[in-house]
Amino acid sequence: MADDVTTDTHNQSDDLTHPLARKFLWLADEKVIQNFIWLPIIGLAVTIPLAFVYPFDEGHKAPWDFFASWAIIGFVAYSFVVLSAEPLFRLLSRKENYYGEEVEPEVIVAPKVEVHHHD
Amino acid sequence: MIDILLSNPGFIIILAGMLCALIPISEIRKFLVGAAPIAAAYMIFTAFKDAEAARTVISVGGQDMTLMRIDRLSMLWGYVFCLAGVLNAIYGLHEKCKLTDSSALIYMGAAVAGVFAGDFLTLFIFWELAALSSVMLVWKGGENAFPAGIRYLAIHVLSGVLLLAGAVMFARANGGDFTIQHVGLENKGGLLLLLAMGIKCGFPFLHNWIQDAYPKASITGTVILSAFTTKLALYALARCFAGEDILIYIGAIMTCFPVFFAVIENDLRRVLSYSLNNQLGFMVCGIGLGTQLAMNGVAAHLAADVIFKGLLFMSMGAVMLRTGTAKASELGGLFRSMPLTTVFCLIGAGSIAAFPLLSAFVTKSMIITAALYEHEWIVLAMLLFASAGVMEHSGIKVPYFTFFSHDSGKRVKEAPWNMLVAMGLASLLCIFFAFPWGGYQFLYSLLPYQDVHYEPYTGNHVVTQLQLLFAAMLAFAALKKWKVYPDERRAEILDFDWTYRRLGKNIVLWIDAMWTRLSANMSVIRGRFFDSAGKKLYNFFSPAGAMSASAPSGLSAVLTGGMLVVLFAVIYLSRL
Repeated sequence: MADDVTTDTHNQSDDLTHPLARKFLWLADEKVIQNFIWLPIIGLAVTIPLAFVYPFDEGHKAPWDFFASWAIIGFVAYSFVVLSAEPLFRLLSRKENYYGEEVEPEVIVAPKVEVHHHD
Repeated sequence: MIDILLSNPGFIIILAGMLCALIPISEIRKFLVGAAPIAAAYMIFTAFKDAEAARTVISVGGQDMTLMRIDRLSMLWGYVFCLAGVLNAIYGLHEKCKLTDSSALIYMGAAVAGVFAGDFLTLFIFWELAALSSVMLVWKGGENAFPAGIRYLAIHVLSGVLLLAGAVMFARANGGDFTIQHVGLENKGGLLLLLAMGIKCGFPFLHNWIQDAYPKASITGTVILSAFTTKLALYALARCFAGEDILIYIGAIMTCFPVFFAVIENDLRRVLSYSLNNQLGFMVCGIGLGTQLAMNGVAAHLAADVIFKGLLFMSMGAVMLRTGTAKASELGGLFRSMPLTTVFCLIGAGSIAAFPLLSAFVTKSMIITAALYEHEWIVLAMLLFASAGVMEHSGIKVPYFTFFSHDSGKRVKEAPWNMLVAMGLASLLCIFFAFPWGGYQFLYSLLPYQDVHYEPYTGNHVVTQLQLLFAAMLAFAALKKWKVYPDERRAEILDFDWTYRRLGKNIVLWIDAMWTRLSANMSVIRGRFFDSAGKKLYNFFSPAGAMSASAPSGLSAVLTGGMLVVLFAVIYLSRL
């Protein structure tokens, strides 16, 4: 089913990078990845105080609704889902051919290397 | 005859599908695949202008069958199906396969025809036709798809038989009236009808056919499948069980449980299949709430869901076409090779996660608000939890592990132009449906209840939704930074289908072994058993039996249904 795949295991050839993507290679920069956390922090720093400006409608609010409640729900619910993954995986995972189905051959993923921004 | 053919917009699509099976020239077939849904949409437009004149009733064997009934609910469903049909046609332009073109059209036509059916017997015919035609799309997926297709077919035929049996019981209790109307669980046949619709809708424990068949279907097949089957069932549910309390809780559970499976699943098309279940949960919950706001929310979310879920499946299909896999563990870094597909996938992910200015923000919130207005606190909490869960599996996991994450080193071509056009149009629709200046107002103008006013862009709604999404993103970034976020690993994840794919199979094998050992000594008892069973079946199904008294076309319909169940059960078990 694959079509024209080049597995660039040494990852040195950015000639194969799509021209439109070249201006966005900084997305893979380690610094950008490390600092991504600031995006939601800034987002929360703006939206939590804004909840005082746009309060809940008194006639239609849930018992838990207060200025930062949706942020807390989002953080706790997301973390709970992700943290449940490990025990669930141990409980429910089996070999890929457990039901006797044909399995895709495993592809060795290239080692992570830094990608430089080319303009 | 031509009048009948032109009575229901679905018929014209089915006819186009049958023609496609005979036409060897791919270009003509592709024209039909794109033109048929456009023609059907035009027929819906003209039919709705004079709904009474469009109503078509024929008599078959003394039984009236309403081939066409149109109102605001069916009109919206019909338009959405036609829109999905056009997008799917563009997406599949590169695939020169007669079987796919033909079965896709018949399948779509059956779904459209089912939506406009006015009675249960007509609905049953298209319910089964949708199952039979769609299985071809599953089987096009390759070696592993064949047994999955058999399981898919068996489950859907069972759903059809339950639908027919429930309809017969319901009609018998209502003076032989098969009109599709509110049924409710209190009426005879209600439970069977709910089960039939529940199977197609992916109720908990009945949902596994979605995660089993969809990821194994062909690339275009999965995109096509995601649009129609479950949505046809939702339509039937909205017609027959609106306001049924149990659906509120079933729907709430449906929103939550797939989240836990999606987080550990490695196959991203299966992740999207769980996500499909999760979104269906919101709509089932809305149907259970049954208020005008909730029903408008269901209809609006259906329109949004068909587009953004289709878009997500399309983007994964494009990735699969280019890389040969949809396994998260094998992907990563593809934004370098497929930047446009990346952008379209991110728009789909943002839409399903309900970011402001993207479609689910103006649709899903109607259902959540309806739960709030009804003071369903536990359900509301579950829906909010599921909203954060959606952000995990579809908002972050799918685009992140495919296009970002570690660089898999794969350097591939961007998706073919036709796939990009289809994804681009779907992305535009995701934005248009939530556009504050004329976009969502257009969508709302198509909803069933026009007296309900809902304003999605209030300051509080925007702020609280952004809080939820930013907090989920913060949790993701923090868990990644602390290396707590689990890596994607290759594995088969057990779900409820284990009961019939493993436990059930072993039980059948054990019974078979026991039967073989005992059969030499049991011939007399076996003969008596079959005699007794035969007499009971005769008393029930024969012309003098109980079923024939109320069955619409007598013995033949019931027996055909029963025979189909037996036949598919035998085929299914033989493939295990």
